[in-house]
Amino acid sequence: MNVLGSIPLMTGKVVSEYWLTWSITWLSPYVGAAILAIMWLVGVRNEKAYGVISVLSILISAIVSTIAMYIVLTQHTIISAVTSGYWDPVLKVQVGVYLDGLGAIMATIVSWLSFLIDLYSVEYMKGDWGVQRYFFFISFFVGSMMLVVTAANMILMFVGWEGTGLASYALIGHWYTDEEEYWVGVPGSKALGKPMYFEPSTSGVRAMLFTRVGDVGFLIGFTGLFALITTLVPKAQNPLSIQTIASTAGTWTSFLASKGLLTAFLFIFTLGALAKSAQFPFTEWLVTAMTGPTPVSALIHAATMVKVGVYYMLRFAPIFFIGALLAATAVPTAVAQTQQYFLIVASLAAVTVFMNATMAVVNHEFKLILAFSTAEYLGYMILAVAAGGFLVFTHNLAYMADAEMAGLSMLLAHALFKAALFLVAGYALHVSGSRFIDYMGNYSKYMKFTMVSSWLVGLSLAAVPPFLGFFGKELVLGSVAKTSVWSLYLLAVVAVVFTAAYITRLLIRVFHVPPLYEAHGGHHLREAPPLMLIPYLILGLASIALGIGWFFGLGKALALGIYDTLAVIARPAYAVSFDVTTVTITAIIIVDIIAVALVYLRRHYLVDLIERSSALRGIYDFLFNRWYVNSALYYLFLDSFNGLSWLFNVINRAIDLFYHYVLPEAGLLTSRGLRGLMRGRTDYILTLYLVMIAIVGILVYMAWR
Amino acid sequence: MLLSWSALWATIIVPIALGVIAWPLRSRAAHHALTYLSAASLLGPLAVVIYGYAVGALGRGGVIDPFILNATSYSIGTMALAIDGLSAPVVIGLSIVTAFVAIYSIKYMETRIHEMEEAGERAPSFGTYLLLYNIFAVTMLGIAYSTNLIEFYVFLEGSLISSFLLIAFYGYGDRKRISLLYFVWTHVAAVVFLTGVLYYGYLVHTFNYAVVINGTLEPVTRAIGPIYQYVGSAAPLIAALLLFGLLVKMAVFGVHMWLPYAHAEAPTPISALLSPNLIGLAGYAIARFIIPLFPQQMLDWRPFLMGLAFTTIIYAGLVALRQRDYKRFLAYSSISQMGYMLLGLSTLNIYGIMGAMLIYLSHAIGKALLFMNAGVFITELHGLRDITKMGGLAKRYPLVSALALFGFMNLSGLPPSVGMWSEIYVVLGVVKTPYFLASYGNLVGLTLLLIVALTVTASYSFITMKRIYYGQPRSKIEAKESIDGFKLSLLAIAIFGVVFFLAIAPLTSSLSSVVHASVLLGYLSLK
Repeated sequence: MNVLGSIPLMTGKVVSEYWLTWSITWLSPYVGAAILAIMWLVGVRNEKAYGVISVLSILISAIVSTIAMYIVLTQHTIISAVTSGYWDPVLKVQVGVYLDGLGAIMATIVSWLSFLIDLYSVEYMKGDWGVQRYFFFISFFVGSMMLVVTAANMILMFVGWEGTGLASYALIGHWYTDEEEYWVGVPGSKALGKPMYFEPSTSGVRAMLFTRVGDVGFLIGFTGLFALITTLVPKAQNPLSIQTIASTAGTWTSFLASKGLLTAFLFIFTLGALAKSAQFPFTEWLVTAMTGPTPVSALIHAATMVKVGVYYMLRFAPIFFIGALLAATAVPTAVAQTQQYFLIVASLAAVTVFMNATMAVVNHEFKLILAFSTAEYLGYMILAVAAGGFLVFTHNLAYMADAEMAGLSMLLAHALFKAALFLVAGYALHVSGSRFIDYMGNYSKYMKFTMVSSWLVGLSLAAVPPFLGFFGKELVLGSVAKTSVWSLYLLAVVAVVFTAAYITRLLIRVFHVPPLYEAHGGHHLREAPPLMLIPYLILGLASIALGIGWFFGLGKALALGIYDTLAVIARPAYAVSFDVTTVTITAIIIVDIIAVALVYLRRHYLVDLIERSSALRGIYDFLFNRWYVNSALYYLFLDSFNGLSWLFNVINRAIDLFYHYVLPEAGLLTSRGLRGLMRGRTDYILTLYLVMIAIVGILVYMAWR
Repeated sequence: MLLSWSALWATIIVPIALGVIAWPLRSRAAHHALTYLSAASLLGPLAVVIYGYAVGALGRGGVIDPFILNATSYSIGTMALAIDGLSAPVVIGLSIVTAFVAIYSIKYMETRIHEMEEAGERAPSFGTYLLLYNIFAVTMLGIAYSTNLIEFYVFLEGSLISSFLLIAFYGYGDRKRISLLYFVWTHVAAVVFLTGVLYYGYLVHTFNYAVVINGTLEPVTRAIGPIYQYVGSAAPLIAALLLFGLLVKMAVFGVHMWLPYAHAEAPTPISALLSPNLIGLAGYAIARFIIPLFPQQMLDWRPFLMGLAFTTIIYAGLVALRQRDYKRFLAYSSISQMGYMLLGLSTLNIYGIMGAMLIYLSHAIGKALLFMNAGVFITELHGLRDITKMGGLAKRYPLVSALALFGFMNLSGLPPSVGMWSEIYVVLGVVKTPYFLASYGNLVGLTLLLIVALTVTASYSFITMKRIYYGQPRSKIEAKESIDGFKLSLLAIAIFGVVFFLAIAPLTSSLSSVVHASVLLGYLSLK
């Protein structure tokens, strides 16, 4: 059954525009970064100039993105703006953007959030010794992220993709002198013999290498598509452009499916997304990425880097979906193989959701709790999209559209609340002089606005209606429920309970109860300066305003955006039905929040309980040591490669010895032996002479014959 | 296209002439002036290449020097100098690196010669250095320009002897032994190669691998037909002899052992030329004549060569991780990079071979930067080259550390460095081989190999970056960065890395047409 017939892959009309007009979205931050680099080289060290240029370059990008989004959503068009010439004529790569609903919405979210975070950094990084480098990499980071979400083809996307990796490497290791105050984890702590504390420079390397593993998969994926498309559809224009990949999806899907390679190929292609979005087992890099300055954490978690993977899923899941349906007529197993692929991705995501929600409950580091929470929420987004893809066997395009809607809504909600929470964390860490929440407390007395903003975004995170987070989570759970794979659904729902618990614990601990330990080296407790306060206050207010606005246009606008997205053909539903499950889950969340709040407000610390029960202690250790995933990865990969490195080094010594000792020595011995024969003894020489004569004679005879 | 005057011969003769002038001189100012002049003349080939791109001559036909030596009557063939799309990345890499390393040499070699004199050794003067340096640089250019195996061999010998003398005169450690070791190894390879060359010439009655027909550079098979008509059953033997000689020069796994000694103990400017430039020329030679002349043998050996390439990448990468000496580490990293080059070549398709040539360029830029980086510390921090004694240098040397990062980005293929393109093309080449989608096992296996290979490269790059530049200093270091010509020469090379990342179109378009027309020759395009 082929439900598609000759339906085009896009519902809106594509308009071609001059490339530079819309490439400003990503070019502006890059140009900003280039200016900063040149300024640094010629010796300008004025801190303020760096901040201003960086913020302005991102602001320009944000304004252009917003205009693009307005055009795309109101005129129901898709902007395709590429150069007429080729950047690389062999791979047929043009420079420019492809802005459909998804791209335009993503660009707007990313650029505005980055703008707010950058604004906050101007105050936060004041007087830092590496502030010039900081603003250079922030601009570079934002430019790369904008390039990923607006890229017209895979090469540009790859440039942005690797650019985010590089920038996050540099920013996570920003304080590369590795003083203890910049570490993450409890100094000296170990799990299964492996250290659980990391220096900034180590964390940078970890981020780079963890994501590198996935990036190679991504690279193999798109070069593989290039090879397939140029072979199977020789006439295809610009084989690496996203449109061509979508329009030839049926062909390459059926080819791969006919060889039984579809699942493996799609999964390899997706490895990059899983690594960037810190899904199991790649979660570890994100956790230790907390060594960077806090605005960097906000940027990585809310707007850039980790959202790359989610964007990838939102972008390509519908293409895989449609590819499977188109291929189904020729190769019926295509659907089953695609479904299998989506099931694998969904399972990894669900495991990530559950693991990280449980880990967040027991941790004591403000930023680490937020990091676990990010990995969890990324899991939700990917789970939602993969669940929609899983339903490919129904041949119903509406499921995919709904899943996209769920993923994008969650992304928006998460971006707002996580950015705000990190910005709050930055200020809290600053005033307390510690990264552990046990040293913070009673902040509500000193900083009312900060407290209010935190609760606004915290409730959004806990998915309490009518905050934006509620709608996100509702759509995600709805999407997962439709698959009828109850194990996935169960993991997702149980995690909701943990989520509400850890965020309540965090906020009560920091704002409403006195600190457990006296902090040293902190600052005077008072409200944050305006340049820091305003960004997170805006985000907090947006979390509720947009939640309320869901029924007054926001939901519709997002749905329209999804409808305008490449390879999404159905119009997704955005209304949330208040049925029994919704009410039940919401009630549980609220009870959960109140219970946790009461426990903490009455100072019933669970620490005593843990001290007394060995079973609880075991669970606590297990969760606190992050399910021992880090240690396991270290034993499995780091140690084995270290061992291999050691072994190769031994082999190398042996090769060295062979060539540079054994061979010369052997030569020397041979020479000595021969010399021994030539000591002037007549009988030897005579024998040798006769033998030689005989040989020559035989040769002459053979030649004669 | 024939040039109207002998520009390519000029790029070879002028630097040698400058060197000869510098040789007897004793004045420091004269040495400096002549060094800057040499650097300018070494940028000549770059200008020719840019001119070639501008008039569109490199895509097909090439830029050819009008002076062509005709020795056809002696069954030797013709000897011309030419640049086409295939050799253009090589010439660019050579030109940029040799020119700026010449400027870099001034401070480095003056310090080195002074240091040797203080130690009571008699070091030949800077003038001698400049002469040998220029000979070394232009003979490498000659290798890239050559169209004939004898011509190729003569230039090869020139580069081997000049670099041998440079190591013997100015090297570190046990430099007499190491220079001899280098000499023996490369000559074993060169003699094996020469045996193949002579056998080939004996059977084919010409040593040409490229010929000039009507003012355009064509592969020799266009003039005399496929080579197997002449060599018949000797083809595997000749191909094996030539290939073995070149693989030793490339230092692939098994015959790599000379490289860490020679490259680590050579004076650093020479390491910066030896490591990326000279060894990569062997890879260029494989693309230039082994693949087009012996396509069937290469097809037969493809699985073996790909395996060898992966082994080299991973083996050398992991061995590099355990090195304590900065320069020795870089030497192993070069072996690993040659693995990538061989990987690209052994795919025997257009993308892989293009990738290999682009690796020549990206590796030239990246590795030259890194060796020069090591040299900065040797010069300014009293010969410091032990990685375990470094650490925290980024704070004292911000510009140098940024340039080191850029060098490592070139090696591990991160934008905005030209390394990204070579990485994409090599991976595309591997993906495009018939093995990749042949079965489930192949798909997963090759993917895992690529992941391990590329991750190992990134690992040694970024772990070393951390060991040297980040954290707290592990020994007492009081120097501070001062910006002078010494460091600006690094910056200049790095800028080219970004320029060619952006302006990749002329390189790839001419590369693809030449690889298609002169390397794959229709025979391999179908496989």
